[in-house]
Amino acid sequence: MLLSFLTFYFPIQQSLEEVMKTWIKSARTIAWSLATALTIGTAPAQAQDVFKIGYIYPSPAGDVGWAHELDRGRLAIEEKFGDKVESVVVENIPEGPDAARIMNQMAAQGVDMMMLGSFGYMNDGLKTAKRYSDIDFIHASGYKLLDNLGNFQTRNYEAAYVAGMGAGFVTETNTIGMVAAYAIPEVVGLINAFTLGAQATNADISVKVVWLNSWFDPSKAQESARSLMAQQSDVIFSIYQDTPSVVSVAEEEGVYVVNTSSDMKQYASNQLLVSLQISWADYFIEQVQASMDDTFVGSAFWGGMADNAVSMASWSDDLSAEQRATLDSTVARISSGEFHPFQGPVIDQAGDEKIAEGDTLADGDLLAISWLVKGVETQLPK
Amino acid sequence: MLDSVIFLLASTLAAATPLLFAAVGEAVVEKTGVLNLSIEGMMAIGAATGFVVATLSGSYVQGFAMAAIASALLSAVFAGLVLTFLANQVAAGLAIGILGLGLSVLIGKEFEGTTIIPLQDLDLGTLSELPFIGPVLFSHDVMVYVGMATVIVCWWVLSHTRLGLIIRAVGESPSAAATIGYPVLLIRLLAIVFGGAMAGLGGAYLTLAYTPLWAEGLVAGRGWIVVALVVFGMWRPLRIAIGAYLFGAVSLLELFIQGQGYAIPSQLMSAMPYIITITVLAVISRNPRLIRLNHPASLGQTYNKSA
Amino acid sequence: MPYRLVARTEPSLRAQLLVPLAAILLTLLAGSLLFTLLGKNALDAFYAFFIEPLTTRYGIGEVLLKMGPLLLIAQGLAIGFRARVWNIGAEGQLLVGAIAAGALALHFESSDSVWLLPAMICAGTLAGAAWAGIAAWLRTSCNANEILVTFMLSSIALQLLYYLVSGPLRDPMGMSFPQSALFGDAAMFAPLMDNTRVNTSLLLALIASLVAWIFVQRSMPGFKLLVGGQAPEAARYAGFAQKRAVWIGLLIGGAAAGMAGVGEVAGPLGLLQRSISPGYGFAAIIVAFLGGLHPIGIVFAAFFMALIYVGGDMSLVSVGLPNSSTTIFQGMLLVFYLACFLFAHHRLQRIEIKR
Repeated sequence: MLLSFLTFYFPIQQSLEEVMKTWIKSARTIAWSLATALTIGTAPAQAQDVFKIGYIYPSPAGDVGWAHELDRGRLAIEEKFGDKVESVVVENIPEGPDAARIMNQMAAQGVDMMMLGSFGYMNDGLKTAKRYSDIDFIHASGYKLLDNLGNFQTRNYEAAYVAGMGAGFVTETNTIGMVAAYAIPEVVGLINAFTLGAQATNADISVKVVWLNSWFDPSKAQESARSLMAQQSDVIFSIYQDTPSVVSVAEEEGVYVVNTSSDMKQYASNQLLVSLQISWADYFIEQVQASMDDTFVGSAFWGGMADNAVSMASWSDDLSAEQRATLDSTVARISSGEFHPFQGPVIDQAGDEKIAEGDTLADGDLLAISWLVKGVETQLPK
Repeated sequence: MLDSVIFLLASTLAAATPLLFAAVGEAVVEKTGVLNLSIEGMMAIGAATGFVVATLSGSYVQGFAMAAIASALLSAVFAGLVLTFLANQVAAGLAIGILGLGLSVLIGKEFEGTTIIPLQDLDLGTLSELPFIGPVLFSHDVMVYVGMATVIVCWWVLSHTRLGLIIRAVGESPSAAATIGYPVLLIRLLAIVFGGAMAGLGGAYLTLAYTPLWAEGLVAGRGWIVVALVVFGMWRPLRIAIGAYLFGAVSLLELFIQGQGYAIPSQLMSAMPYIITITVLAVISRNPRLIRLNHPASLGQTYNKSA
Repeated sequence: MPYRLVARTEPSLRAQLLVPLAAILLTLLAGSLLFTLLGKNALDAFYAFFIEPLTTRYGIGEVLLKMGPLLLIAQGLAIGFRARVWNIGAEGQLLVGAIAAGALALHFESSDSVWLLPAMICAGTLAGAAWAGIAAWLRTSCNANEILVTFMLSSIALQLLYYLVSGPLRDPMGMSFPQSALFGDAAMFAPLMDNTRVNTSLLLALIASLVAWIFVQRSMPGFKLLVGGQAPEAARYAGFAQKRAVWIGLLIGGAAAGMAGVGEVAGPLGLLQRSISPGYGFAAIIVAFLGGLHPIGIVFAAFFMALIYVGGDMSLVSVGLPNSSTTIFQGMLLVFYLACFLFAHHRLQRIEIKR
């Protein structure tokens, strides 16, 4: 109703003066909440012993997605350390030459530690870290290290394998569609793990992939999901799309969907097969503690199920108890180190054996993986 | 296979609808001799406003209406600049476009990343159940058909009515039109506001029916494709509609072909509409007869009544 | 209506100087309204936006760093704009210049020749000019509207960049991320001030400003360009003046933008990646207008726009202003400028009502 919109923005009271006052007041409140929603405001400088942490996110923290999970990590830090820490958060910072300025500005504001939330900040982060040796940096998904610059990633492929097993159970067309961002090793590894998992429970799986060449393109992601459905895919895997667009299309069309980063049950209460939930809380808290104790040393963290960094969230109720038991036991076996998703023999698209019987893929090879397993129909973009 | 063809054709209609609204609106504006380059910003305002209003009110009608009004208001500021303050149209369009993009972020900020139930498809009874034709043509939401109707109405008005004649006369030579006694400024003002409202509807279609969520940067360059489409369609609503559907089909086909396992450079596909449009523009501009028939002669020039 | 608008026979210098000031004042007023609505103290916000960047050496360096490309592109564009040649595709010309220079830098990655950087500057400048030259050629040979062509060439250039950084120019050791390897030291501009990122490419922009000033104010081609543009009817009889104006306007604009692209990749970036320019090509159009299309005015306008960019980033951290306030500020500034500009060429005259 128009009225409810009007009353939202223009609450109506008795006298004109009253109206004006409330209007200004509510407009301010709205605007204030808007402003705090997009850049969590910073309090003026406090006492010296407060440990100040700067956070830079590549996208708005929103309700779900990559930046939202980073922000949950921040909240975990604040909960753990309370008044001892202070946060400076900026979101939606493009990966260009301007990111360096934000980092320097944060350094000038006297932060003790900085969290750089995107791969694209790597080179500027490296320069800033060299310049400010007394600030400790942790950087998402990069591969360069300094004494005061560490990086962090998750072993999402572990969860992808288990989700793939679930997809193998529920698919009727034996066709899985994937909407993927870029053909970087991280994404290629997820596609492979998911496919291997699906093949473990269903031998005839074939996989179609659409490359978006973007981290953020809700319209194109949604179009891609629909085109995969038209090509008989009845499970869709949405890889690193920050918006719920693919998930909500799947709900609308009645097709199972799996997504990364956040639990998206709220957008697909019927059709969400499972979400690959990531969590930075333990890692962040550990790093902040190390930095406070002056024991911080930049290192590469690659957290999996065993580190509580990756987990399965909101399994669909459509799976049978027996199927759930299989999935849960796989999770347990991965967590305990008994099972590795990339366990030989694994054959690539061209039919070459990439992992021999009895071997598992070494971390170094997995971090640079650039081949797709047999069963994936789409080629890597050249 | 048939399923896939049906999917492609049916999705094309939806994918083209936001472009259709904005492009037909812009064609009318350009026909009066005004080049409005702020489409991207106006679509963004429409997308954000439509989403916020529809979410708060639960009414799609109000969402679309407020989107049209918000974008029309912004375009009225543009009209003020170019008509009253005699500002350069290119500069004014860019200024309003930038302003619109910035404001859309503020309007939609509290709703960043949230979703809405998309506008539902119409139930056209037996029509929707016809084989092939049913799912392709008769299973869409109402705005797809409103878009088509808008195209036809604009085509009819521009080519078959007195109003169309006046619009074209104003675009051809505003001073000559003024001499005959046509209200040049009023015609241009109305056209600009109409174009703004249409861009707003196109933007709102994105957030209320097509994607359906609000996120910053959602319009993703569609406003600029619209500018290209108007040229591609030679300022004629029916051809613009064909261009919009072609564009929609090509962009979907790219994703579809990928799913089939063929590797094609997606960048070439993304650049294709622009390459084709430049070619079309070069060909029609070369031909004096074609250009005289279609290209509004005073496009982009400031009209000063007192001069 | 007791007043009417009358064209000035000669644009008033005083009015021309007052217009940008009035536009800035109005922008500040509207801005303070916006900040107050956002629940921020407008004075704090303005301090963060316009003063804070200038209080530190690093901040000044950043403003100068931003100013370089804006100044260079705007000077180039203004020459075309004065001749009513509307090149709105500087963004694409910048990208093509960056690509050409980057390709050269990557091909001679291990070179330490002092000629590498000059070669890159030449390659980038020529590439930018060539990209704009397509529009000039289509305009002069096919009569195709250069506004539309330059704009669409921009979109094509962006896709070209995307293609190159995810394919042929991608760093083979870079984990398949869509970006090139880092350039060698010989391919980079030298720092101009210690502890800042500002580099010698700024000198190119300043030299270009001087050349533009001489070109426009002192020399015959500048004068003819003015005539060719502002009075097409008269000039048409004088031969090919209009065609020449199109060629000169677009080539100079493209060359300047291409050179600015070199400054970006061989300056703060040091590699090719998907995002090279935060819209400098479009912002420079605002700068050119804000500077009254005058070489000296443009220097001030470029400085002010750079300040808005840097101030916007800084206030993001220090006051917590929304990210979009930079965009809104830029938009408002140009809107108010365009509105006020009317009075540089017109004045209000009281209409005397005779009884």
